[in-house]
Amino acid sequence: MDVQQAADDFRRRSLSGYPRPLDRLIYLASMRDYNTGLYYHDGLASRYSQEVACEAMADCHREAFRNLLGSSLEDLVDQMDGYMSSTHTSPLDFLTAWRKLEPYRVAVPVESDPLSAQFLFSSFKIALAILESRLHSQPVALSA
Amino acid sequence: MTQLISFIAIAVGLGVSLASLALRKRVEGGSDAMLRAKQALSSLQAGLLPAEMVARIFDRTDLVYVESQASEDIREMFMSERKLVVLSWIRRVRQEVNDLRSFHLGSARFYAGLSLATEISLGFDFALLLLACRALQVSVYLGGPYAAPRMVASTAAIANRVCTISERSLAFLTPAYVVPAAQQAVIRPVR
Repeated sequence: MDVQQAADDFRRRSLSGYPRPLDRLIYLASMRDYNTGLYYHDGLASRYSQEVACEAMADCHREAFRNLLGSSLEDLVDQMDGYMSSTHTSPLDFLTAWRKLEPYRVAVPVESDPLSAQFLFSSFKIALAILESRLHSQPVALSA
Repeated sequence: MTQLISFIAIAVGLGVSLASLALRKRVEGGSDAMLRAKQALSSLQAGLLPAEMVARIFDRTDLVYVESQASEDIREMFMSERKLVVLSWIRRVRQEVNDLRSFHLGSARFYAGLSLATEISLGFDFALLLLACRALQVSVYLGGPYAAPRMVASTAAIANRVCTISERSLAFLTPAYVVPAAQQAVIRPVR
């Protein structure tokens, strides 16, 4: 019950600022400690407990992953385009970094099904290629 | 006479030890198969066979979108990426089904009270499913990820049927009570 309550609280207070599943996935992955796999959020932990906050954020992370997995390729391309614009980096730098570093590989929840993760990574790769081809065909519009 | 009695005692002792070892090995092997079957079932039901997952992997609207948007190079890339995913899906389904089949062939009869008719029908489904996976693999390999949509649907339907029966066979491993969410909030470090 506490976990559910904490997850709802977290969705309302923190995740409402991130309407796209891609933004939520990246935000939640950034709240996770790389060394332990545990999620940290001081505000949520102070209202509930560290254990409950961690489990609530893990639930929200899985939910964002499921939502992104259910998005069509067209939707994923739009989400990436929106996310890219929100970072205020040059599209060329962004796309090059994402293609080379593949940061989405560390953004999925720990217990994701390997095939689901493979499918999502593959879709990211295609979406990046589409955005790159758009950038090359309309350099002025995208790099503005 | 004393020597004979001690020889017989040693022989009986050895016999008992060997029998208990053989029995223990069978029980341990059974629990391994049960564990693998339980994992296979959960992987099939939660990861590979949900209708929305199957629909996403084989969704042609992605192809239509790619064809409307991108160059021939990206189309080729898309087809090759999807083919890899589809082949992985088939391989995983086949592998998990094989684990379930091993459980049913080996230890299921000791634990699950399936009727003879159900066992025969299950055996038939396993054979059909493994054959369908192989045929699908060949079709996708030769014709690409969207080569056999009907075969995908029927493979997923048979796999779901096998899962339903296997779920009944493995039901005794599932706790009869629901653990409250608050008690599930156990933090597990990643190893």
